[in-house]
This record gives sequence, structure tokens and C-alpha cells, in this order.
Amino acid sequence: MAPSFLEIKGITKSFGGLQAVNDVSFSMERDQILGLIGPNGAGKTTLLRLITGILKPDTGSVRFMGKELVGRKTWSIVNMGIACTFQNMRPFRRIPIIANVMVSCMSPRAMKSGEWVKRLEAKAMDALEFAGISDMAREKASVLSQGDLKRLEVARAVATEPELLLLDEPFGGLSPAETELMAKSIKRLHKGGRFGRLHSEGPAMIIVEHQLQWLMKIVDRIIVLNFGNLIADGSPDEITKNPQVVEAYLGGGGI
Amino acid sequence: MRLIFFYLGKLFTIIKNEVLVLPSRVAVGLFFLFMLLLPLFTKDIYLLRIFTLTSIFAIFAASWDLLSGFTGQMNFGHALFFGVGAYGAALLNLHASIPPWASVPLGALCAVLAGLIIGIPCLRLRGTYLALTTLAFPIILTGLIFAFPSFTGGELGISGIVRLTQSRVGDYYTVAVLMLGLCTVMWKITDSNIGIIFHAIREDEVAVRASGVNTTRYKLLAFSLSGFFAGISGGLYAHFMRIAGPSTLDLFLSFSVVIYAIFGGVVTIYGPVGAVFVLFPLLEFLRVVQNYRTLMFAVVVLLILLYMPDGLFAWLRDKIEKECPRCKIRNIATRHTCRVCTAPLD
Repeated sequence: MAPSFLEIKGITKSFGGLQAVNDVSFSMERDQILGLIGPNGAGKTTLLRLITGILKPDTGSVRFMGKELVGRKTWSIVNMGIACTFQNMRPFRRIPIIANVMVSCMSPRAMKSGEWVKRLEAKAMDALEFAGISDMAREKASVLSQGDLKRLEVARAVATEPELLLLDEPFGGLSPAETELMAKSIKRLHKGGRFGRLHSEGPAMIIVEHQLQWLMKIVDRIIVLNFGNLIADGSPDEITKNPQVVEAYLGGGGI
Repeated sequence: MRLIFFYLGKLFTIIKNEVLVLPSRVAVGLFFLFMLLLPLFTKDIYLLRIFTLTSIFAIFAASWDLLSGFTGQMNFGHALFFGVGAYGAALLNLHASIPPWASVPLGALCAVLAGLIIGIPCLRLRGTYLALTTLAFPIILTGLIFAFPSFTGGELGISGIVRLTQSRVGDYYTVAVLMLGLCTVMWKITDSNIGIIFHAIREDEVAVRASGVNTTRYKLLAFSLSGFFAGISGGLYAHFMRIAGPSTLDLFLSFSVVIYAIFGGVVTIYGPVGAVFVLFPLLEFLRVVQNYRTLMFAVVVLLILLYMPDGLFAWLRDKIEKECPRCKIRNIATRHTCRVCTAPLD
């Protein structure tokens, strides 16, 4: 049997006395969009950071296409095809927006796949065009609004041409119209294809989100975390009917 | 003959369209001309000596900007590279009788090695901790030099090194041309794609790693490039002064380079170079009021930092040039429309 696309086994992380992620295991397929939900402080962002190697897990293993990720450096994980965005956006504020994306385009993975594109700018511009902020390419990143920063994060992640994309609250702080646009872009990206000189392999995705209304329309499968424990795993319909999930969100003891 | 005129015409067009349109480019061009033509107008040994030393320190200040300004790796012990370059060149010249044209680059390679040796343990550190750790290394090396006086000359340093060239004017030209060349190279590096990664590392290192770039490699690259250029300036200093002493590792040297860079404007390369050309001769000419020399120097630096926090040359550039709001191309401040996209300026 071929190794599964992403397999997480018994991963645990605690910060001092706080058990942020407690013995979480799941696996996902190449063509899935996975939603990761849970109340505040459930350990969703921590879980993403454990996958990308920004944080080191206490125990457990993360296997991506048969290769162990725990113990690898973040940049090497990104070069294997896992890109991530940050919840609190971290742009390079004092350099132009296009240069922000060019940093991603200079990663070995992006350089390898786009050898025929001589100019990094052209490729970076395509990523910006995909995200919809190409008209501001020469501005400094500090002028961007909250919603555009989210798009810059997405453009930066897409520029590495990932196979697995980890989106941390892509709709956070967006207006309803912007949310719809972003949801459509995500759908489009998942289908794959060419965006100018940029090749999208239709990455699998893990999306952490609070706005369930939009999330439900995008994802195939949802995983629910509460206090670091995995409490439910299933299709969006099943999740909304799951009594444990309802209790975690609305609190026990009835309303 | 017609071909020559054709190319001369082309050159003239390039100068007219690319250089003369921006006052900052004209200023840089004039500076190049001034440096290259100075010995034709004056044969004053004292003046040439000041400008030679100024050029050496200009390379040194620009190399600090390359490391600490661009990648944000605060290095408060930059004299280490200078000292290693100076001692390396001196020892190679004295013991292996290698001529200056080879001993200076070899000394610079010693400085690169030193940069890698301190760079690897220091890469885990950040901000203040990095600054304090780098501060310690020149002091440690000074201790080592005092510990082996038979080899390093101890407090007196190594003297009897071969001169750079046979004449003062030759010295001046060697150093001036090297300064102009190396600073252009440094500016080119920071203007390239590598420069973008340096900028990004300064802004947010975790985000650069999450973009799939090996930051460790680029930080080491910055350390070794900066060490190389600082080492060259150290080697030139040793051959020009014909002595390599513990003063090349001095704490004052490490701090003065920080003062130069901040005075001229960090993250520019041209800022520190310009600052050295203002401050170093200033310190010399203030010898007429010997007792208040350092005090007046401090007053000038403080005034600049108070009223031009971005640095003197960054401030000047903003005064004489405007950025087009649409295409981000710089224009002379007297224009009302952009020279490329004709959008109205401000």
C-alpha cells in the first residue's frame, strides 16, 4: 500500500502545565480539503505549527508522503511541499509587496519547478494576481489593509507551489464580500491548473476557521478539537449533528 | 571613426537619460570623479593621507551596514573582522613575505573564516544577545594577542610590513579605486535578489523560513560577505599604516562604525560611506580646537540623530527627490509630473 498523504500519530505538545495538543491522530488524502475547528484555545494553530515545524512536538510523529517531518527544519518542510500562512499576518512590512512574494519564489522548491521563468518578478506577479492584489505590487506591505494582508499571506504560500496548504484563519477579519472572494479563490486553487506562469497542483488543504458558515461550503471533512483533544471527525453534516461538538461550542447544561 | 562617434553618442544618451535625471546619481558620479581626480589638484601628503584612511574606513562602515543594517544581525564587535584582516595580512606579509596584492585578500579570507567561526554559534542568538556576544569576540582576540607576544607582537603590534605601493599617490589610488569598486559591489549585492532575502530576514525570520528559504545559509552568507569586505579594509589599513596593532581590535572602532552607519543612514550602503567622508575628515580638521575635538564631534552626531533620525543621507535624498505615487520611480523634487508615467507628484 502506498503511504498515506499525511498521517499524524499521537502528537502531543504542552506549554508548561497547559496541554495544548493532546494525543491527536488523524490522516488525510491527497484530494481532500480538511476543516479544523474548535473553540478558542483548542490547539488548532498549535497543531498547524507542529506540522510545519515552527514548534517541536513533545511526542508523536507526522508523516508526509511516507517521510517523517518531526525533527526537520521549517524551510526543509516547506520545500517538501507544505506551505502555511500565519494567523497573525507576518508580512515583511518595509519591503514592496512583490518582494514579499519573491522571497517565496526564491525557495529551492519554487526555483526548481519554474526554471523556464527567468524572471522571479513575473512569477511573483502571477501569485499576486491569483490572490487579487497585483495592482498594489510596488507599494510597501505596510500600506495593506487586513484583508489584503490575508491575501498576501495566501500569495506567499501559493508561490512555493505546495501540495499541502495550511491556512490559518483565511477569513479572519474579512468583510462578507471579501470572505466570499477568498472562499472562491480557495476553491479555484484546489481544482488546480495554471495561473499564468504559476502552476498549481491543486493542493490538499487544512483550513483552520471560526466562520463555519463559509467553511462548511468548502470542506469535505471536518475535525473538531477541544482542549487539545480530538472530539469529532466526519463530514460537515455529521459534525453539525454531533452532540459533543454542540456541547463544546455552546457549553453543556442546556441553554 | 564614425563608429566611435556612434558609441560616444550612445554613451552620452545613457548619461543624459539615466544619470542626469536624478540629483542623487549626479552626486554619486561627482563623488567618483572627485575621488579619482583629487591627486591631480593637490599633492599635499597630509590631505591624501586623510582621504586614504577615510576610504579604508568607508569600506569598513559599508560592510557593517551589509550585515547589521540589511539582515538586522546587530554586530557590536565588527572590529573583529578588521583586526583579523589586518593581523592576517601583516603576518602573511612578514613571515611568508607575500606581497600586498595577495596578502590583503588572504587576510580577508582569514576574516571570513573568523566570521564563520563566530557566526555558527551566534546564529541562534537574536537582537541584544547577539550584540553582546559579538561584542565579546574582539576582546577575547585581544586577550589572545597579549598572551602570545612573541608571535603577535603583543601590545606593540606587528611592524615592518611592506608598503602598499611605492608612493603616496599610488597608495591613494589603490585604496580609492578599491573603495569605489567594493562599495559598488556591496550596493549591487544588496540591490539583487539576495538583498531581498536579507531585507526579509531583518523583518521576520520565522516568516522567511515558512517561505521555504534556508535562513541559516543566508545569515552565514551575510556574515562571510561582511567579514570579507571588512577584512579587506583591515588588510589595507595594515599595509598603509605599516603596523597591525591591538588598536585594530579596539572597542572604539566597533562603536565608531555603528556611529558612522547610523549617522549616514542604515540599510543604504551609500549612507555609511558618505558619513565616513563627512565625519572622519571633520574629526581631523577639528584638531585646531584640540581640547574640544571629541565634544564637538559628539554634538554634530547628536544633532543629526535628533533632527534626521533616518540618517543624514537618507534625509538629504528625500529632500531632493520625490517618489512617484503610481510607479514608484524616483524623480527630482522640482518636477511636478513623473518622468516615466507622467502621474502628478504629490
